Amino acid sequence: MQEIFNIFIKSIFIDNMIFAYFLGMCSYLAVSKTVQTSMGLGIAVIFVLGITVPIDYLLNEYILKAGALAWLDEGLAEVDLSFLSFILFIAIIASMVQLVEMIVEKFSPALYSSLGIFLPLIAVNCAILGGSLFMQEREYQTLAQATSFGLGSGVGWLLAIVGIAAIREKIRYSNVPAPLRGLGITFIITGLMGIAFMSFLGIKL
Amino acid sequence: MYSNAYIFRYASIMVILVAAILSSAAMLLKPMQQRNEAVDKMQSILAAAGIPDVSAGDAIKLFNQNVTNMIVIDNKGNIIDDFTAEGKQDSKAFKINPKDELYKKSQGKDFELAMYVINLNGEKIYIIPLRGVGLWGPVWGNIALKDDFNTVVGVTFGHKSETPGLGAEIETPIFEDQFPGKTLFDETGKFKSVRVMKGGVANLSAADQFHAVDAITGGTITSNGVSDMLQNVLESYVPYFKKQV
Amino acid sequence: MNTVKREKEPLFSPKNRKLLLSPINLNNPITVQVLGICSALAVTAKMKPAFVMSVSVIVVTALANLIISLLRNGIPPRIRIIVQLVVIATLVIVVDQVLKAYVYDVSKQLSVFVGLIITNCIIMGRLEAFAMSSKPWPSLLDGIGNGIGYGIILVVVGFVRELFGSGSVWGYPVVPAGFFEMGYRNNGFMILPPMALIIIGIIIWIQRSRNKELYQEN
Repeated sequence: MQEIFNIFIKSIFIDNMIFAYFLGMCSYLAVSKTVQTSMGLGIAVIFVLGITVPIDYLLNEYILKAGALAWLDEGLAEVDLSFLSFILFIAIIASMVQLVEMIVEKFSPALYSSLGIFLPLIAVNCAILGGSLFMQEREYQTLAQATSFGLGSGVGWLLAIVGIAAIREKIRYSNVPAPLRGLGITFIITGLMGIAFMSFLGIKL
Repeated sequence: MYSNAYIFRYASIMVILVAAILSSAAMLLKPMQQRNEAVDKMQSILAAAGIPDVSAGDAIKLFNQNVTNMIVIDNKGNIIDDFTAEGKQDSKAFKINPKDELYKKSQGKDFELAMYVINLNGEKIYIIPLRGVGLWGPVWGNIALKDDFNTVVGVTFGHKSETPGLGAEIETPIFEDQFPGKTLFDETGKFKSVRVMKGGVANLSAADQFHAVDAITGGTITSNGVSDMLQNVLESYVPYFKKQV
Repeated sequence: MNTVKREKEPLFSPKNRKLLLSPINLNNPITVQVLGICSALAVTAKMKPAFVMSVSVIVVTALANLIISLLRNGIPPRIRIIVQLVVIATLVIVVDQVLKAYVYDVSKQLSVFVGLIITNCIIMGRLEAFAMSSKPWPSLLDGIGNGIGYGIILVVVGFVRELFGSGSVWGYPVVPAGFFEMGYRNNGFMILPPMALIIIGIIIWIQRSRNKELYQEN
């Protein structure tokens, strides 16, 4: 139990998708102009990561990993399909995003009108595929650990994008040197935020 | 426009084509990848025993020349497999995955451990594969012991994704060269492991200095990971050590 | 009528040259189009992985552009995105397998980031914006150009971080030992992830001060 909580906290603050790995930067830079929209995108990311990481975990555990097919037949224990993981992960992500979009549209039009426009963006958000690939590389031992990692990474991503959006809303009133305006200053601020986040490394987990 | 049948045909052909391309690429390159992995492991084992800078081409040959036994022991310290023939990369000991076995240990189940014996200049050196967790991901390595199962001959470490310049320094000679000469047991025969200490080994008492090395500056979590890895892996071998000495 | 159209355009006509060269500076995918930094900044702590990553991205963008452009008239629009993703993912897997087989030590350092080329927005972006509506040869050039524009930034960032962070270039120490004796220290900060972002911010600053048309609003 404690292990699961540790993974959750660690993936929010220490292994932050944006500050430590720069994943999902495209939508991070494009959508972070106002707090409200970035909140929407952030929630969509948590949602999708929370679904795809566990699914990809099961996929990896029971189909892809070297020897994973042993539960089907002893003779298949030597089979290693891990070379297919990229393509299967991205397929799962694309179809899950589609599915989530359809379900949300059907059952909660209000949520759809606020989240809907972001969902298609998410299929090609590196943070989502990154979540699954890191899950695979770090070799989490249980489904619960993988899920907590997925959700934590999503929350960390939300924190980062809402933070930068709040700063960008204010920075409009500052006198930034002309060549740095827009993209340049956003990069530098993100860097500074990343440095601030590094102080979380001191947390004893 | 495009009929559903066309879309369906298009998608099926694409899937078959892609599957064919991918599986043939994987099949063709697999032997080389496996060889790379084995060579990497052998280089690390040889380096820990004091045969550094083995080129990738020579690794398999040198490994088979120098390594005399590939041993598997159980958690009670009994030898259950001892492989001495040629082709050591196919032995059971070489294939044991320390990660899986240590997971079994953490679950309180029975587990098996690998050990490699090298005969170097008439002296037997015992090499133990290590596996643990650093800051960002797995860390691993090999530790070589003298035949008193106490004195460290050398170590090599590796990591998947530690911070370059900080945690990643565990695989540099600056860190690794601190280990030779350290001991795992104190005079009373109590298991102490080798700890990675923050704040300077020099401040410790003379007896404790034999069981500690300096941590990496700025790489505290990775250093702790290495320390825990040594403790966790080596304590599993203690039953075996006790039977030998 | 057709004969006029069929008149052969030289392979490197000014138009084609522009396709290849403009992404390197004025239309740089990272600093101007803001595409595709995701998958790659994390490997810029050293120059060598940054370079291998760049080459991988160039290969994937170029080939994906070429393949999609060849297929463009047959792709049913409804499954267009899926087809693109499958082509990209296949190329990336092949690249990953080749790296594992031939440059094992670098592929260990790149770890999951090779896989993340799949979601690199540059590739999807170029397929949608260019390859779906252009002939194969210009598409190939466009892919190579964008890949290079992307790679240059990576390698520059890698160079700066390695030089100041580890005192080496391409793994070879270049800072003379005398400097260290005089009290020079490698800047460990350079190696930490946030510095990559700050260096890119500075590159953008320099590039934009020289090209006024790139100024943006806040």
